Amino acid sequence: MAEAPAKAAALEQALHVLRGRLDKRTAAFLNACVRCGLCADTCHVYLADRELESTPAAKVERVARLFRRYHTLLGRLTPGLVGAQSLTQEALQGLAAAAFGRCTLCGRCALNCSVGLDPAAIMRFARTLLGAAGLVPQGIRANIEAAQTSGNTMSISPQDVRETIAWLENDLRQAIGDPGACMPVDRQGARVLYALNPRELKFFPLSISAAGMIFHAACENWTLTSTDFDITNYGFFAGDIEAQRAIAERLIRRAEKLGVRELVVAECGHGYRSLRWEAPDWLGRPLPFAVRSFVEVMAEYLAAGRLRLDPSKNPDPVTLHDPCNLVRHGGVIEEQRYLLRHAVTTFVEMTPNREDNYCCGGGGGMLAASEYAAKRLEAGRIKADQIRATGARVVASPCHNCIDQLMELNRHYALGVEVKTLGEIVADAVVLPGTS
Amino acid sequence: MTLASIALATALVTSVTMFLAQRFSTRFAAVPKAIAPARGSARAGVLYAFTKAFAPTAKESAALHLPSYLAGIGYHLGIFAALLRLLVSLLPVAVPAAANMILTVVLALGLACGLALLGKRTLDGRLRGISVPEDFLANLLVDVTLAAGLAASLDHGLMPWFQVTGAVLLLYAPLGKLRHVVFLLASRRWSGAYFGRRGVRPNPKAPGTDRG
Repeated sequence: MAEAPAKAAALEQALHVLRGRLDKRTAAFLNACVRCGLCADTCHVYLADRELESTPAAKVERVARLFRRYHTLLGRLTPGLVGAQSLTQEALQGLAAAAFGRCTLCGRCALNCSVGLDPAAIMRFARTLLGAAGLVPQGIRANIEAAQTSGNTMSISPQDVRETIAWLENDLRQAIGDPGACMPVDRQGARVLYALNPRELKFFPLSISAAGMIFHAACENWTLTSTDFDITNYGFFAGDIEAQRAIAERLIRRAEKLGVRELVVAECGHGYRSLRWEAPDWLGRPLPFAVRSFVEVMAEYLAAGRLRLDPSKNPDPVTLHDPCNLVRHGGVIEEQRYLLRHAVTTFVEMTPNREDNYCCGGGGGMLAASEYAAKRLEAGRIKADQIRATGARVVASPCHNCIDQLMELNRHYALGVEVKTLGEIVADAVVLPGTS
Repeated sequence: MTLASIALATALVTSVTMFLAQRFSTRFAAVPKAIAPARGSARAGVLYAFTKAFAPTAKESAALHLPSYLAGIGYHLGIFAALLRLLVSLLPVAVPAAANMILTVVLALGLACGLALLGKRTLDGRLRGISVPEDFLANLLVDVTLAAGLAASLDHGLMPWFQVTGAVLLLYAPLGKLRHVVFLLASRRWSGAYFGRRGVRPNPKAPGTDRG
């Protein structure tokens, strides 16, 4: 019985966002689309399913119809002529399927739009609108709630962090035969704070070990943190402006408290983008420390001679998947190639690559939205085909989100490859000081 | 001044005013200045967006659809030529014969391209699927103006008809999809600055690379 008023309230909230929270940039994009449809072939989702609804133009049009209805004269007077549409439950449901189920916010269409608009920015606005209407997928919402209540999406306690790191530190000492090697936690005044994706602590501890090895080899003054260490930000995926700011602010305040000069973001595309590019805008202030990706830091160590690598330690052919948020939205394009050229015997590029690379299909929170799992795997076929064409045995990707999707694609499409972070590959090639 | 000239001049002033009102409207929230330190250059990105990004090889949307891209170029050349001719028609100057000949060719090319794009929108299922009725109306309105311009370039006595169709087009432009003429510029500037600032396009040199 209470469902109808709740739906009406949700519609009202969405209408409030549509009327009041649209910015000039998004409005310009919505006014600029001419529905030429030339963007279709730039989208991995459309290339995989060939459905009209998956073209960026069709996805943009779902928002543009609402925009015309409430923000243009002809949309109000002659909605049929200009394809304007009132905000209804059906319109919102269709928009949710488009914005969460057919778009990973990868931005490849933005780079290739003939007009120059950014469909991904429009889809982010769509997600904000859908969030107001309570239509964010449950999996994404659950991650936001966990991050806000416990400080990380996997609700890992500070004690668990300390115990896991102690265990990894012991392993590192044994592996390199140096009892002085350490993986410091909560060290006040360290130069670098290395912040993690919680999945590393739970499922991929080897990537933390790799970072420990690399920082040790480079003689870095670094630390981990047992609290507020989470670089992921599902508020960003949800278009939840308040949540994305609050989540980013926890880690930023922690870094400020530790007094570090640099926040190094572990291999996580959207984590890097959120903290490096978006967080200062969300907080409305510059950060008192630099924010860099671990990829940039490793490349700097190598260029400065602080890291010596032996490529013969990685003899299998390696290809590279470029995470959209790190590369297309972050500008970290060449560093990973520089590292791989020095860390492996054979490095094979995918085609296309760099900022033109296709999304793996797991971006934009798709991995957390189980209702779209089938579509995610279908969209990943384009990436699977790219990988297969390289003939590589190892796929490197500096993003744990991409790695989850790539591992699933590996199983689903029987690619027969090994999926690794860049840090793991670099750590395998490290030549420690005093050894040959 | 003829009645047609007065109508055209009035439509021009009205259209420009409406465009300016839309472009500088305070209806939408301002975009805050980006705070994070730049990796590249917003200015270089905007410059790229308005130069190299127009090359047929710069974007897949053009490279994979060269006939459509070329038709679009031809169409817009025709439109700009028509607008220029309309402006000149308001001035007390005569168009030299050679310029009129070039104008005739460009208008004919523009009209042919416009009709070709209209045909594509009608026949291509995918394009038809994302179209709204106004897509056809806007194209027809422009095509009629180009046809009138072509006719006027061949027979100057038809200039008033060209001016009247031009006036209708100018009055309609800020209302429908033709307003992309202004918002395209804004969009390119936004996205050019975005990708430029982040060092994506153009991409500055990184350690050990030769890409610049």
